[in-house]
Amino acid sequence: MTGQRPIGPLTWLILAFIAAPLLIVVPMSFSTAPSLEFPPPRWGFDYYRAFFTDSRWLQPLLNSFIIALGAAALTMLLVVPASFAMVRHRFRGRALTNLLLLLPLTAPHIVIALGYYSYFGSLHLTQTYAGVILAHTCLAVPMVFLTLSAALKGFDRNLERAGANLGASPLRVFRHVTFPVLRPAFVVAALFAFVQSFDETVVALFISGRDAATLPRKIFDAMRTQADPIVAVVSTLLLAAVIAAVIGSRAWQWRRKRMNAIAFAAQ
Amino acid sequence: MAPQADECDRVRSPMMPATSSNVEPQAAHYLDIVDVVKTYDGVRRAVDGVSLAIPKGEFVTFLGPSGSGKTTTLMMIAGFEEPSAGDIRIDGRSLVSIAPHRRNIGMVFQNYALFPHMNAADNVAFPLRMRGVERAEQLRRAAAALDTVGLASMASRHPRELSGGQQQRVALARALVFEPDVLLLDEPLGALDKNLREQMQVEIKHLHGSLGITTIFVTHDQTEAMTMSDRIAVFNNGQIEQFAPPLEVYARPATQFVGGFVGDSNFLDVVVSDPARGLVRSNVLGELATAPSTLAAGTAARLMVRPESFRIGAGADAPKGWWNHCSVRIEGSVNYGDSVLVMGRTGDIPIRLRLSGSDATPLTEGDTVRVRWRAEDSCLLAR
Repeated sequence: MTGQRPIGPLTWLILAFIAAPLLIVVPMSFSTAPSLEFPPPRWGFDYYRAFFTDSRWLQPLLNSFIIALGAAALTMLLVVPASFAMVRHRFRGRALTNLLLLLPLTAPHIVIALGYYSYFGSLHLTQTYAGVILAHTCLAVPMVFLTLSAALKGFDRNLERAGANLGASPLRVFRHVTFPVLRPAFVVAALFAFVQSFDETVVALFISGRDAATLPRKIFDAMRTQADPIVAVVSTLLLAAVIAAVIGSRAWQWRRKRMNAIAFAAQ
Repeated sequence: MAPQADECDRVRSPMMPATSSNVEPQAAHYLDIVDVVKTYDGVRRAVDGVSLAIPKGEFVTFLGPSGSGKTTTLMMIAGFEEPSAGDIRIDGRSLVSIAPHRRNIGMVFQNYALFPHMNAADNVAFPLRMRGVERAEQLRRAAAALDTVGLASMASRHPRELSGGQQQRVALARALVFEPDVLLLDEPLGALDKNLREQMQVEIKHLHGSLGITTIFVTHDQTEAMTMSDRIAVFNNGQIEQFAPPLEVYARPATQFVGGFVGDSNFLDVVVSDPARGLVRSNVLGELATAPSTLAAGTAARLMVRPESFRIGAGADAPKGWWNHCSVRIEGSVNYGDSVLVMGRTGDIPIRLRLSGSDATPLTEGDTVRVRWRAEDSCLLAR
């Protein structure tokens, strides 16, 4: 890469081609047309008002949050101990456990969805929060496991020894040393699980039903029945949330880098 | 295991304290390591029967190559490893079944192991916090400890904002602030550059002097061991080869390993001819005088002579004493500025001589010179 050269016209064209569909929902969300239409004939906030007053939309949004929070919490509860065991101990069946933990990464989502659909059906778990949370947890396990075990491998165990040496019981070592040092990795891993669940569509389509419908499922339904412009509103809001999150994390990284630079200068 | 039969025993001056021995009364012992064994697989022993009796306030160095068991022994004292056999006691109280966090032993780790999420003051206050000391008192004592190591102004800095030497001092302050019974230092100077290392050696020694805390210092650097210790325990293959004051380890190594590991040395193959008079015979150099020994006549042994023990010339004007002589053919030299290391051969035996610059100047490669050394500057070792 030559780095400093300005971006050429062809590159702009390709960028526009890729990004346009992402951004086209933004103007459409401010439209007043009865169905999705571009360019919008007239502008207004009608569909925003509709979205924020319609329980048929707010309920799936709430569902999505409940399920994503539940899945993130359950995933962390399972994978944190699993990562510690896998990274720090050698035991029989360790290789097999590793394989099992990573399996959901390789299995096609549609196959997983079908499996859950028939299996959860017999357990009466379809159309329930618990069912969707369980399924999403399973899907989030591999990424969270990879993130946490990478962080754990890089963790200096002398820190824990120092903690014990200085008088901290194992529990207090975890609370005052291990957890605070690994906190960034824990946060990233939990965020992974949350986003994975919030974003997941295929399994949600199969098992969330109407009672536990998530936002992606509702969007899909809305598009299938009528091209409801509220979909554009939802998409725009999601897009805004993602962009805010990315900018936020970048700003945090930049601040850390700057602090490290100051630290380096101090030496 | 006790050091092997010390062939130099007879020449030990009465001023020197006895080496670690099981016959000493237990009164003075504070830290007692008794026949400690550590094995991970039940076969190979990382630590193979180590016994040390350390009086209160002593500065002891564990010296040895990597894999010699010195760090494993330290880890067992700290409680991070459990002995497979044997006992470790402080003041007569066994530590073996006590969890690390209840041992009240301070430790400085090789990489300092400062908590990256806490500033210097909180790092130092941590052991006090774990002991339920009141917050204001914690901070007061942490500040005092940082002051002792000259870092009072760095209290609010995080470890990443401190240089290696400063981190080292914070680690030292943190290990001392709770007034531990014993201080363990695991190669704490390894990561520092030479000047800083020498400065820290002096500071650690000074701190030890003013606090009088029983200290164990692990290193593979013989210079560090020589300059800092009251006594050195030389580790090799999981055993202690010698436990003695630095000068004794240097002048009268108990084994050939110690002689070779601590300082530079020449070894000559000899056969003991008259142990009482300290006479030995070398195939190449004939009869040589050394200190009297307990080895039986006819025993094959090795005579160790330090390179700096040699003098040039036959020594007609030499001060009184029993001198040995030999001719050395010079093969090369390295000038260190303050001294010259001359490499040569006597017969087919390689000999290294460390000479002062003025003694070495007239020598050139290919010359043959007469050299001499005093009987008491050599040491007879079992082969």
